[in-house]
Amino acid sequence: MSSNDPAKPSRLDPEPVPRRDFLGKASLWAAAATGVFATLGIARLPKAAVLSSPSRKFKVTLPENLPEGQAFVPPGRSVALFRDKEGVHAVSIVCTHLGCIVKPSATGFDCPCHGSRFAADGAVTKGPAPAPLPWRKVTVDGSDCMVDEDASVPPGTKA
Amino acid sequence: MQANKHLLLWTSLVTLALLVFAAARENVFKEWRRVQSAASGPAGPIDVHLRQVVVPTLAVADRCVTCHVGMAAGEPVVAGDPTLKRHPEVGHDPNVMGCTACHAGQGRATEKAAAHGDVHFWPTPMIPLRYADAGCGGCHTHIAVPTVDRLAAGERAFERNDCLACHKLDGRGGTLRPLGAGGMEGPDLSFVGARAFRADWYDAHLARRTEARGARAESDGEARGGAWDDSFGPLSREDRDALDEFLRSRVGAPKLVLAKATFNSLGCRGCHKIAGIGGDDGPELTLEGAKDPGRIDFMHVRGEHDLAGWLTEHFRSPATLVPGSQMPVLSLSEPQIDLLVRYMLSLRRASVPEAWWPKDRVRAERLGEREFAVDGATLYGSFCAACHGPNGEGMRYPGMPAFPAIGNPDFLAVASDEFLTSTITHGRPGRRMGAWGESSGGLRASEIATVVAHLRSLGGVALEPDARAPRWVRGDAAEGARLYAADCMQCHGAKGEGGEGPALANAALLANATDTYLFETIRRGRRGTTMLGFAQPSTVRPSLADPEIESIVTFLRSWENQP
Amino acid sequence: MVVLAPPPEQHGALRRFFANLRATPARVKDSAFRGGKPDTDRTRSTFVFGNVFLHLHPVRTHRWSLRWTATMGLGIASLAAFLITLITGVLLMFYYKPHPAIAYDSMKDIAFVVPTGNLIRNIHRWAANVMVLTVILHMARAFYTGAYRAPREFNWLIGMGLLVLTLGLSFTGYLLPWDQLAYWAITIGANIAQSPREVTDALGLTETFDIGGLQKLLLLGSDTVGEEALIRFYLLHVMILPLGLVALLSVHFWRIRKDGGLVRPVDADRRLGPVHAADYPVFTEEPRKTYQLAAVVRGKSGAVARGPENTVPSMPHLFYAELAVTMLTIAICVALALVSDAPLKELANPQVPENPAKAPWYFLGLQELVAYSAFMGGVGIPGIVLLGLGLIPYLDREKDGTGEWFGGPGGKELVLQALFVGFGAALAIEAFAIRYGWLREWIPDIPQLWITVFNPGTVLTAIYAAYSIWLVKRHQSTRAGALGLFTCFLCGFVLLTVVGVWFRGPNWDFYWSPSDWPGH
Repeated sequence: MSSNDPAKPSRLDPEPVPRRDFLGKASLWAAAATGVFATLGIARLPKAAVLSSPSRKFKVTLPENLPEGQAFVPPGRSVALFRDKEGVHAVSIVCTHLGCIVKPSATGFDCPCHGSRFAADGAVTKGPAPAPLPWRKVTVDGSDCMVDEDASVPPGTKA
Repeated sequence: MQANKHLLLWTSLVTLALLVFAAARENVFKEWRRVQSAASGPAGPIDVHLRQVVVPTLAVADRCVTCHVGMAAGEPVVAGDPTLKRHPEVGHDPNVMGCTACHAGQGRATEKAAAHGDVHFWPTPMIPLRYADAGCGGCHTHIAVPTVDRLAAGERAFERNDCLACHKLDGRGGTLRPLGAGGMEGPDLSFVGARAFRADWYDAHLARRTEARGARAESDGEARGGAWDDSFGPLSREDRDALDEFLRSRVGAPKLVLAKATFNSLGCRGCHKIAGIGGDDGPELTLEGAKDPGRIDFMHVRGEHDLAGWLTEHFRSPATLVPGSQMPVLSLSEPQIDLLVRYMLSLRRASVPEAWWPKDRVRAERLGEREFAVDGATLYGSFCAACHGPNGEGMRYPGMPAFPAIGNPDFLAVASDEFLTSTITHGRPGRRMGAWGESSGGLRASEIATVVAHLRSLGGVALEPDARAPRWVRGDAAEGARLYAADCMQCHGAKGEGGEGPALANAALLANATDTYLFETIRRGRRGTTMLGFAQPSTVRPSLADPEIESIVTFLRSWENQP
Repeated sequence: MVVLAPPPEQHGALRRFFANLRATPARVKDSAFRGGKPDTDRTRSTFVFGNVFLHLHPVRTHRWSLRWTATMGLGIASLAAFLITLITGVLLMFYYKPHPAIAYDSMKDIAFVVPTGNLIRNIHRWAANVMVLTVILHMARAFYTGAYRAPREFNWLIGMGLLVLTLGLSFTGYLLPWDQLAYWAITIGANIAQSPREVTDALGLTETFDIGGLQKLLLLGSDTVGEEALIRFYLLHVMILPLGLVALLSVHFWRIRKDGGLVRPVDADRRLGPVHAADYPVFTEEPRKTYQLAAVVRGKSGAVARGPENTVPSMPHLFYAELAVTMLTIAICVALALVSDAPLKELANPQVPENPAKAPWYFLGLQELVAYSAFMGGVGIPGIVLLGLGLIPYLDREKDGTGEWFGGPGGKELVLQALFVGFGAALAIEAFAIRYGWLREWIPDIPQLWITVFNPGTVLTAIYAAYSIWLVKRHQSTRAGALGLFTCFLCGFVLLTVVGVWFRGPNWDFYWSPSDWPGH
């Protein structure tokens, strides 16, 4: 199959690529678009639509003899509930610095991780915490309290 | 190369179209998205996203609230589809226990058919809503119930004494105070059995009445006493007992309680075990309500092809659905069948950690309390009546040999308590009478003694004292054999294996029965049964003299030592 | 205070720094894609051998290899299916939790609440099935075109390894959903692994030499399918087998190049005829230099003395073909995934066996044989088949018909005849066993060893072997025997699989249709 026909270009000549290869271009673009669309779909997968943790709205019954000023932390939850004459309020016990669980103390709350300290109303008194501990929404319904850990209320709001 | 370009182009476009279709299907056309978009709360349309109830300790992640939005924690009241309404008050918050613990179904699913378990492979589909209280049985495995009669008596007492005037009960009765002040006159009693009440409630109730009267006297005719004053009077002892028993069974599931009482009162447990207590003739029913409909043959079921439909049809005619079933046709009324189906559906076990066990289960499994009353009548009704008749008159089901009449005075006159106790405890091996002792049938010795006492009261006769030795008979076995063949064989079988009459060649019977028992039974017979007294003169057969009867007894004894 | 002016060279350095900064994007591109825009024959060649992913390809491809009928694209389709399973599999690992207590729940999460989860799982499942199918078809293609012959014998063996790994991957993935289907299929599979006991029991050796028990123990890590089995299957499925597959795949591809590219007839050039204008430019000149490291390599390698005649640049000719086949595979998998959900039955229940408990479809042919003898059906006959397949390239040293479909003595007629014999024999044996039963039905207390040796599977194998020996004799050619044997086994595989998939119901009884199953 040799051909030394001078009319044919040598293999050493650059191959003239047809400039208007519509079909080729269209097919490549279609493939690329499909790939991009598929990748976008795939990228949605790692973001979970529902979390496997329980709802952050929950009902709790405070102990009847809870002393004023003493925190009640429902098991497995990250709010401290207080009851006084004006009503019930809930303070988040997740440190606003890096998410450690703060410990209720005599003066308020202490964070064991980086030494932040908070007053009883959640205000920062010391350490790296950038913001006060938020108060959570509480609704009192008879002897039960409905706490919504996703909803913050201005400090001082009591139910 | 052109062909390949074409192929690439068209396959790419097809794939793209398919992916776009898939994306639309998932993100736009989901059923639950439609439901949520149609809903509106107080502040306009609600947020459209997946909702769920997660209870880690129960391993529950129920997405039912994705469509039943009104039942999700903290959701505002939403209007729209009936799907969206709030959960009715039942004593349990769906946000604490999830949905599937009671209703079954597939909680993780987000499509209706799959979530309700209406897919062929899901083993525990939702309990039909009309039987919803059967779901209580998953945890409340041991709800204590009285008998149907006692239940009816209690209900009658409650109505006769006009309690419904002030108190609400199971959705009935109760009156509001004038001008709507202070709500109901008396508290709702529908859950009073679950919350427990003081033993002296009646005295307290009366005392408040006296107080109210005094108050009226002081305030000189003013209607301060109100309903307390004149709407109820003193109750009889019987009424109070009936009310106590009735109120203890008010646990918020009146139909289920009635269903369970019906099951017990019909004597089903004579053949069927539930949680280890009951007879062995029929299959154990402890998990009957959790049967996988995927493994049920619905060929002969006329109604719904679900477990409830199958059970209904089965109660109508057991052998049609289960070839070779020994269960007799019970000729039940449709309401009775409906109740039994409800109870059957409640026989399930939700796998919950012990910390979640309800009081009734703890009391039964840890403290050994019974879920049924342990008086003689109830025990006899639950465990014996199905075979031996409600009054010990015996029973005859089509296609089966007759069951003995154990309330027969002639029988009770010669059967000692030891004989009865031993028969009940150990049964008759090889016969349908099973052993009811604690290790097999599940009854305790004290309970068996109660049943024996009840039997005595059924017959109304005491044991006749007998001074003779247990084995006093000395007869001629050969003569006995001849007489047996002539007079006994037709009913008791050539080898005493039983037929129309009971089996006599039974080691347990012969070991327990005294000679007097055998002798007297032959001599007197049992009035009202096919066993006639052989001492009596008869036109259809010869009457036997005492020595002849002794010979027969001697012959019967010869079977005692046979293997 | 004297203000010092910065030295001039320092000033220049800063300017150079900013100039370099500006030039960085272009330089990054240049450094990544050396050789410039691939728009000429030469730059494209550079592009191909300068790219780690593309350099597995030759820069020029023979025109024969690009014909659809040469390969049907089955190898690329297998690779594409593997890549799809790889990607979707990694995605599923985000949510799948390999523990019996939660595995099933996590599957339900994937099916119902994970964004795109259900589609991804369906694609994974379908791609896996497509892969099994294309691998088998690819093997058949390689066989019928004689591609196993020297110098490609070893690559044939590698291919067999890939077949085994593919089946292993599919099988190990079967357990992971932890539903009834999974649990009972794997229980059966594990007991097939234990089936050499059938023989050791019969010989009284099990006490001392329990190879079957060992195999099962190694597979399950316990005596029943439980959490140990699940974690082992998971490890095999996501780590060991894929790594093995990738390793063998690399060797497989590399060997294609080293063995002289895809197989083609010796007279391929003549048959291709004149060059079409569309295939321009075709390398048609006599080689002026060698394309081998001939000076340092002793002996002959597959590509020695082959010039680049009658070849076209791989880019774009080969790449379009590959892309097209890949996209076709994707399209098929996505379409199937949209039409049919991957099965997920109820939670595994060790107390209640599925009835019928069926293995994955590609093992149902074996399950059909296992119904008589677990050892022969599950270990013996597959072993014989694999051994036979492995021996073929070393026994068939002929040259005739290489690179042609059904090439060799007898050719198409022989394959057609073998189809009849293969199907006929399998059908006859199956029909006989279904209608009249087998030894155990006739002689209830016959020792199992008799059935192990003499059962429908072994009889069928013997018939096929006899037929192929007869072919060798008749055509005086090993290739003829191989063609017959391979065709027969393919027929047996297809027929038994069909029976297993569609005609077996509860208790492995024969039914004409699932609607006749009791309880339906």
